[in-house]
Amino acid sequence: MAVLEVRQLNYVYAAKTPYEKHALKDVSLQVEQGEFVGVIGHTGSGKSTLVQHLNGLLRPTSGQILLNGKDIWEKPKEIRRVRFEVGMVFQYPEHQLFEETVRRDIAFGPRNMGLSDEEVERRVQKAATFAGLREELLDSSPFDLSGGQKRRVAIAGVMAMEPQVLVLDEPTAGLDPRGREQMLRQIERYRRENGTTVLLVSHSMEDVAAIADRVLVMNGGEAAMMAPTEEVFSRAEELEAMGLSVPAVTRIFMALRRRGYDVGDNVYTVEKAVERLMPLLKRGCRPC
Amino acid sequence: MLNDITIGQFFPGNSLIHRLDPRVKILLTIAYIAAVFVPVNWYGLGLAVLFLVTAVALSRLPVKLLWKSIKPILPIILFTALLNMFYVGGGTVLWEWGILKLTSKGLVNAAFLAVRIVCLIAGSSLLTYTTGPTTLTDALERLLGPLKVIRVPVHEIAMMMTIALRFIPTLVEETDKIMSAQKARGADMESGGLLQRIKALVPVLIPLFVSSFRRAYELAMAMECRCYHGGEGRTRMKQLHMGLRDAAAVAVMLLLFTAMILLNCWTAPVL
Ligand SMILES: Nc1ncnc2c1ncn2[C@@H]1O[C@H](COP(=O)(O)OP(=O)(O)OP(=O)(O)O)[C@@H](O)[C@H]1O
Ligand SMILES: [Mg+2]
Repeated sequence: MAVLEVRQLNYVYAAKTPYEKHALKDVSLQVEQGEFVGVIGHTGSGKSTLVQHLNGLLRPTSGQILLNGKDIWEKPKEIRRVRFEVGMVFQYPEHQLFEETVRRDIAFGPRNMGLSDEEVERRVQKAATFAGLREELLDSSPFDLSGGQKRRVAIAGVMAMEPQVLVLDEPTAGLDPRGREQMLRQIERYRRENGTTVLLVSHSMEDVAAIADRVLVMNGGEAAMMAPTEEVFSRAEELEAMGLSVPAVTRIFMALRRRGYDVGDNVYTVEKAVERLMPLLKRGCRPC
Repeated sequence: MLNDITIGQFFPGNSLIHRLDPRVKILLTIAYIAAVFVPVNWYGLGLAVLFLVTAVALSRLPVKLLWKSIKPILPIILFTALLNMFYVGGGTVLWEWGILKLTSKGLVNAAFLAVRIVCLIAGSSLLTYTTGPTTLTDALERLLGPLKVIRVPVHEIAMMMTIALRFIPTLVEETDKIMSAQKARGADMESGGLLQRIKALVPVLIPLFVSSFRRAYELAMAMECRCYHGGEGRTRMKQLHMGLRDAAAVAVMLLLFTAMILLNCWTAPVL
């Protein structure tokens, strides 16, 4: 059974005013346990709006969100429970820190869950490790950290709730290339070791191509595609029509193929590119 | 939830009233507020109402909008009217209960007062509906210009008002975002007693303050980078011009005053 299921979801911002905006139109999708789903789409396509529905921050105008087969709005009073099950990291999460120490900020979520002090401490330690925060940082003020470190604290704060589903809205925005790669690796490791289902919203096709099992493509408020990663990136023309691109390596390989080099298709990571190019180089690299 | 707050109620348009010089509009509004207190009987007040209705018609604002500005103070109007109803004596007694006495004069008085207040509110909302907040502060700066002689930092005050108005929507949006983020971590802001609710605001207020300061520093830096140095020798992109239509508006207002004073002399007071 799918962990998360979205059925015919519609959402309208500022309904019945001149600023009315139909941000989600009949979106339906299913996410399986333990899956890594990448969410891509042009600016304003409704990615953030969609993910905010998954933990009940926004209430659907129409349609349903099912978590483990149960409608999350069945008992509106208990929506807080859903928020512990579906952890959500916002865009620029470093702006939400408020505690005196990093340790206490990470503990905010687990404490709200009503866990014992020992359990909270255990989770803080664990989450800090996964987010790549060194032990000695835990007792400093979050406001004294660098931007990247703050981001890690914020992500650790959500990981510490040990949610069943982890949703991250552009966690790598504004980080340098090495920071991005590290961040993604840590998220992937967290997923592997905890069996967590992960949804990652990203503007970077490279990031998504490198780690997602399946990709959801949003376009103008609709779910345009939801398919395995290689399938999505093999439909380059369609993506480009939606104002998206394919990873740079994929573009290079498409150009190579057009010039008659036999490199095959479905190349969307650098590793794969190397694997395909090596035999070609050994043969002496000629168009065939 | 926070999206419902609308501050700065400007309703864009291109009517005659929208195009009046904002300085003239401010002065005329003040004059109108004074004018509403001139009449002593229904003829004069009727004139004030007529003036207002004409102005609203000229501005092409939806009437619903004006109603929206009057609605919140309706209880106050009713309360004042009620107080007056029993406070003013004279005329025939209509109803009596203990020390409470309702007289015909009291009733008329209450109605008169209510119409006056509605005129006041509607008249001043007409100004804020037809003038953008920045235009308004700009005009205020010009009008208060003479105060610079006695060292009132008029330009700085106007700039502060402009910045404050500009940042209200930004801060509202930011508050919304931070609240969502803390709710996502299980913060409970909807239940609990008063003390608990105040405590629940801490995780929202601290990040909000931090980001407000950050924004203030960034804005100050950006202004300095563009060589902002206060009002001294600063020119404007949008020059205010007074024209024929402003002169006409002032003339109409003077006419209103004259007519009201004459009516006061020739007709009997109602109170
Ligand atoms: N609070 C709001 N009120 C009104 N409209 C909104 C609000 N938030 C978003 N929208 C509108 O809804 C649409 C979808 O916005 P959303 O934030 O979901 O896009 P996104 O895909 O996350 O974009 P980005 O990649 O820039 O983050 C946009 O057209 C946006 O203008
Ligand atoms: Mg977004």
